[in-house]
Amino acid sequence: MFSGLIAIAIIMCAVQAIRAARLLSSAVWLAGASALTALWLYILGAQQPAVIELSVGAGLVTVLFIFAISISGEEAFTAYPRVPRKLALLLVVGAVALLAVDLAVASGMPRAVDERAVSTLSDTFWNARALDMLVQMVLIFAGVLGVLNLIGHEEIKEVETPGEIQIAQTHLPQVVEPENEELLRV
Amino acid sequence: MNLSPLDTAIFLVLGLFGVGFYALLIVRHLIKLVIALQILVKAAVVALAAAGAASGKLELGASLALSVIVVDTVVAVVALALALQVRKHFGTLDVSELGTLRG
Amino acid sequence: MLAGELTVLTIALPWFGALCIWLGGNKAPRLTERAAVAFSVFAALASGALIPFATNQVVLRIPVGGVFGEFTFVPDGLGILLACIATGIGSLAVIFSLDSMRGEKELARYYALVLLFIGAMAGLVLTGSLLLLFFFWELVAFCSYALISFHNDDPKAVAGGIKALVITQIGGVGLAVGVLLTYAQLGSYEFDALLRHSAQMPREILGIIAFGFLLAALAKSAQVPFHTWLPDAMEAPTPVSALIHAATMVNAGIYLLARFYPAFVNVPAWTTTVMAIGMLSALLAALMALTANDLKRVLAYSTISQLGYMVFAVGVGATLASQFHLLSHAVFKALLFLAAGAVIHLTGTRALAQLGGLSERMPFVRNAFVLGALALAGVPLLNGFWSKELILEAGAQNAGMAAFILLLFGVSITALYATRVTWLVFWAPPRETNKVASSNGHSRPKEIGDAPRAMRIALGVLVGATFTSWLLIGGVSEMFARTLTLANVHVLTLFEMMAEIFLTPLTWIALGAVGFGVWLWTARERFANVRASWQFVTRAAENSFGFEWLNAQVVRATMGAAARLRVTQTGQLNWNMVGIVGGFVLVLAVLMMRW
Repeated sequence: MFSGLIAIAIIMCAVQAIRAARLLSSAVWLAGASALTALWLYILGAQQPAVIELSVGAGLVTVLFIFAISISGEEAFTAYPRVPRKLALLLVVGAVALLAVDLAVASGMPRAVDERAVSTLSDTFWNARALDMLVQMVLIFAGVLGVLNLIGHEEIKEVETPGEIQIAQTHLPQVVEPENEELLRV
Repeated sequence: MNLSPLDTAIFLVLGLFGVGFYALLIVRHLIKLVIALQILVKAAVVALAAAGAASGKLELGASLALSVIVVDTVVAVVALALALQVRKHFGTLDVSELGTLRG
Repeated sequence: MLAGELTVLTIALPWFGALCIWLGGNKAPRLTERAAVAFSVFAALASGALIPFATNQVVLRIPVGGVFGEFTFVPDGLGILLACIATGIGSLAVIFSLDSMRGEKELARYYALVLLFIGAMAGLVLTGSLLLLFFFWELVAFCSYALISFHNDDPKAVAGGIKALVITQIGGVGLAVGVLLTYAQLGSYEFDALLRHSAQMPREILGIIAFGFLLAALAKSAQVPFHTWLPDAMEAPTPVSALIHAATMVNAGIYLLARFYPAFVNVPAWTTTVMAIGMLSALLAALMALTANDLKRVLAYSTISQLGYMVFAVGVGATLASQFHLLSHAVFKALLFLAAGAVIHLTGTRALAQLGGLSERMPFVRNAFVLGALALAGVPLLNGFWSKELILEAGAQNAGMAAFILLLFGVSITALYATRVTWLVFWAPPRETNKVASSNGHSRPKEIGDAPRAMRIALGVLVGATFTSWLLIGGVSEMFARTLTLANVHVLTLFEMMAEIFLTPLTWIALGAVGFGVWLWTARERFANVRASWQFVTRAAENSFGFEWLNAQVVRATMGAAARLRVTQTGQLNWNMVGIVGGFVLVLAVLMMRW
């Protein structure tokens, strides 16, 4: 019962994160979803991921979002979607329905509990998934480079003259215009 | 109705999944798209943990979930950095304005 | 266990050197050169030191978790022989580069890539895991691409590099399919699993694996119809050509075929296909070498032709003969390429019409080149003679007289084009003036001297090896017989080989064919009208027998299809997402069908 309520709350948070008009509130709703997901992971018995999700997912990522939003500005336009809403809804409902049937069949199967494979999380990490760990380290390195870029951007922005931005802005519509027309024709 | 957490997890995963996909199709704001990706990944994390619990290999599911969280954070960082670069070069965060990728 | 450490050293020394040189940048070219030579020579020493430890057991096992199997290294006879060739010839090419690349820009990129290339090839032949084999395979392809287009401001070099990359990638797909199917069937990436349990697989699956591996080997070893990348790869700096032709790249295909021959020998039509393609490559490429007008292209076609002999030998089951010819070929082809590189470096041109009359000016280079050409033609007592005779003998025994006669025809043409190219470079008077060199202000006759010191060292070692490498037959065959239990190799001592070759009449017939080829060139004036009636063959050979045309058609078809598919690219992220979600729904729907 309790877990069901939390699940509903998570989905509500997710919907609000998409619907919110202000970007900042979107980020906060996402943080809420993240924190409740951490609770859910705890319920499922995955304590370590729960802790990481709470600190990284709800904490660090939210800070990053707020940081990025503060740099890029609160320009939350409400643009009409390019993809027809009905088509989008149809596709999503189709995907979810198929997945639901898939999962129903899967959970109907006998649950394979491997008795002898009682290992610890660190054991799994460092032995069974040693190569993944290496790749993960490379990825974290890429993330560091991304953060550097994020911070470096701010410094460049300070020396940028407003004229340059204006040029970029005036240039772009001209380049994009034909594509838009073509799309409308199609 | 008496649902175990594992059964509820299926509904949670499906719900998050649907919201995330719908947002990816509809939303035009780059940073909001990154938020949509985050929601999708939440679904994946819960699914992995639940699958681990269901199959009795809890630590394998947990380790995969942990990896996904890490990878997802990196994705968010890089995506946000890219979004800022897009903002800098094109002066907009509307993805439908970024037509230059058209081959 | 020492073998494990030596294996690691053979692969890691060049890689570590590459890393150091890459990080060091272009600030101190002299230091870069010295480091490159040191690392490559030490790698060669490490691989040489592996020889006494040849074994068919796993000497190094790196556990990487349950999903990817274990990364294993098995230095058996075949692997060690090829590793020695890769690192040995590779280090000579590096030494040669000291002179021929001096003063070039971005030397750090050059030497780092060369060392990466050598290490990757050593890894390719020493590993015992199919997954790692694929990894090294692709790494070798990447290095060859990057080195062929080393002069990346020259569009021809870039085009040649991309052609090499694309064609070898087609082969790479075959290898990937084979490796993944093997894993799906046997649940293991170990070589041994495939070699020992190939009979347990369903026949059609084994057939796909066998032909997938064959596709990979043909693309890598530049066999018909995938040979077109090799001549275009001649835009590379000459030491790189020597590396690709003699030490690393093209040997990988022969290695792959020889390695997995025991697993695929019973696949219907597999050995026949291997033999037919080897024979076809040997003959067609020899004809193309005869008509080519560019010094390096002649050598490139001759490589394809000689590789054809090796592929043929694998097809008839003569693993030892094919690998022994690979060793001989590596030595004399490296000698030919480096000598040609010296000629090109000193004269500034590759066109045969502009070369000529160099015999007096560079006696050392001339002697080296002539020796290489003689070995290529199969003149007795040089290494090429012995290994080629072994292949001819195996061909006559296992493939019948018709095959032997065709091979003899190839031997004659080989002797003919070897004589032709040597004559044109060193004795014939130049027929055109060298515009490039004279416009650069190098007034040609004055400046041309003999090879400088580092070139002489590299050439000298190879000259010595051309005379002596055939003496190794006893050791090589013993190593093969001991460690390749499935390949059915018998110990062949030096005296047995000599007796076998001198006592069979086939040898004397083959020598007659060689003599006939040389005589054809000396008597070419007399056959002027015969040549005229063979004009259509010449023209077909000049047009590379239509394979370049075929190549161009495939490229055109691909580009055309791509242009049509552009319509699907809206450039709109949301619409692209529709494609992704739609694909996902499709995949789910297909998965549902199973229930």
